[in-house]
Amino acid sequence: MYEKRDNSSPLAKKGMERRDFIQGLATLPILGLFTLSWLNKTIHDRPRDVGKSKRVIPEGVSDINVAFLGTGEQGYILLNDCVKLPGLRFKAVCDVWESYNQKRAAQVLKKYQHEVNTYLDYREMLSEEKDLDAVIIATPDFWHADHTVACLEANLHVYCEKEMSNTLEGARRMVEAARRTGKLLQIGHQRRSNPRYLHCYNNLIKDAGILGRITAVNGQWNRAVQPDIGWPKKHVIDSATLKKFGYESMHQFRNWRWYKGLGGGPIVDLGSHQIDIFNWFLDAFPRSVLASGGTDYYSKDTHEWYDTVLAIYEYETEQGVVRANYQTLTTNSSEGYFENFLGDQGTLHISESANRGGVYREPTAPQWDKWVSRGYLSAPAKVTPQSTTGAVLDVRETIGPDRHNIPVVFNDPYHLPHLENFFNVIRGLEELNCPHDVGYETAVTVLKVNEAVEMARRLDFDPKEFKI
Amino acid sequence: MRIDTKYSNWQLAALVLLRVLIGWHFLYEGITKLTTPQWSAASFLLESKWIFAGIFKGIAGNPSVLSIVNVLNTWGLILIGLGLIMGSLSRIATVAGMLLICLYYLCNPPFTGLYYAIPAEGNYLIVNKNLIEIAALFVLLLFPTGNIIGLDRFFYKLRSK
Repeated sequence: MYEKRDNSSPLAKKGMERRDFIQGLATLPILGLFTLSWLNKTIHDRPRDVGKSKRVIPEGVSDINVAFLGTGEQGYILLNDCVKLPGLRFKAVCDVWESYNQKRAAQVLKKYQHEVNTYLDYREMLSEEKDLDAVIIATPDFWHADHTVACLEANLHVYCEKEMSNTLEGARRMVEAARRTGKLLQIGHQRRSNPRYLHCYNNLIKDAGILGRITAVNGQWNRAVQPDIGWPKKHVIDSATLKKFGYESMHQFRNWRWYKGLGGGPIVDLGSHQIDIFNWFLDAFPRSVLASGGTDYYSKDTHEWYDTVLAIYEYETEQGVVRANYQTLTTNSSEGYFENFLGDQGTLHISESANRGGVYREPTAPQWDKWVSRGYLSAPAKVTPQSTTGAVLDVRETIGPDRHNIPVVFNDPYHLPHLENFFNVIRGLEELNCPHDVGYETAVTVLKVNEAVEMARRLDFDPKEFKI
Repeated sequence: MRIDTKYSNWQLAALVLLRVLIGWHFLYEGITKLTTPQWSAASFLLESKWIFAGIFKGIAGNPSVLSIVNVLNTWGLILIGLGLIMGSLSRIATVAGMLLICLYYLCNPPFTGLYYAIPAEGNYLIVNKNLIEIAALFVLLLFPTGNIIGLDRFFYKLRSK
């Protein structure tokens, strides 16, 4: 069958036949199949890097003129994030700690070629700076309402750190001012713009309903023991200035989060972020809260707010009742911080800490291959191994669930997308991820915990409380 | 060793299938390591138990040696995999494959009294997948097929003329 041999080629002269070529190259298609399979797997398993997707400002959109009001620890973080964003001009910095916070912020901005005017008093800044478009407020909670209302009335869009206010009266004034002026007010619950959280809410919970009926939620933020925050002695603020801005002492100025009337304690500083996620992911507000807490460890003189708080909420969702517990410890850092949403078909474990997160399918739930194919979940990362202790699985135990990773990579600083969202709304490109109404709802939900601790009994929410 | 072995069609098909499957396994292990920037043999080497543990842990503890071992391992796996799939330099690929897996086996042998933190998907006592793959490659070494189905056929043919 190979009689028509072409003797003109060198190989043919060596006695090569068609059979030799066919058999010699017979396994090459396997390489093609390998390449196809590998590409298919690579594309399929590729995490969706959505963290840096929107850094392009459309042509013709002018720069936004921005001021910083409050450049302490949190303000400094926001400032360092903002300088990474395009299309912003920084014009002014206002902080009552002139020799430290104010100076440090101005120096950073100068490094990025922003010459700013500096102010001690926000009223002076608002009367002097006439070409501002927006302000980033990161002052202590008890200043938020006054600062925000004044800035909104000065025709500025406002990004205000959470907690919206340390009082509901203050939060209410902020909402009313935003409505009255028509200016934007974004509250700094930054997880609302975090691509991992957005993926969990939009795709896993709303679209796929992957958890089935959520029956329970738990979350925590545990921190190790920390000493009080100090200050460089050469940068002490004089007592008249401290008093003018609402502080009794330098210690109180630096540790305002622990003082009643200034902050809200750990449940507000830490818990507010995560309890906001409870409301968001459950699409509901709680109907009651039960809480236990106290200043159990630190001195009550310097820690007026509770160093330990455990709270249990009851939610009435469309699917049924959900019980949610939350704890914050400042005496032990065990397990750090996370939120767990537990449904009859799966568990979502999510944390702002980018190294954590996973979705666990209940053994009795339908397979999730469809959601893996759609890119909602990674393939099961690990099946719980069989007992290594020799213990026999009791008939009453259920075997461990499969674990899937959340296939969204987010490597940016945590606050960056939330700030970016705020500026993009000013440019007319997006909608606010945490507008004033949402901030208010969260404030209502969270501030009630401190009230429940104080009253030592279960408190009910009136649905009307969440609306203004 | 005879290299002009006469196999029946089924014998040949089975041997080539075994060669290609093992080659695929090597190739994908290598490609995965190549495309995972943070991959390093360090954690595997540091888990080493038994009499050679000192050598393997020493490699893991020396960054410059470790980086060389990482590259050699990755490209070794890829080239062995390609050699087995294509039947190219298949005897060298087979022997190299046996040696490489032998190192893996000796690094973490599944012997009584040795406990590993790296999770295994099965249960092994002395015999594990590495040992079985070494044995399978030994079979391929004794029953070569690259010179029949594979690029080696060309070299074999040219050389035999």
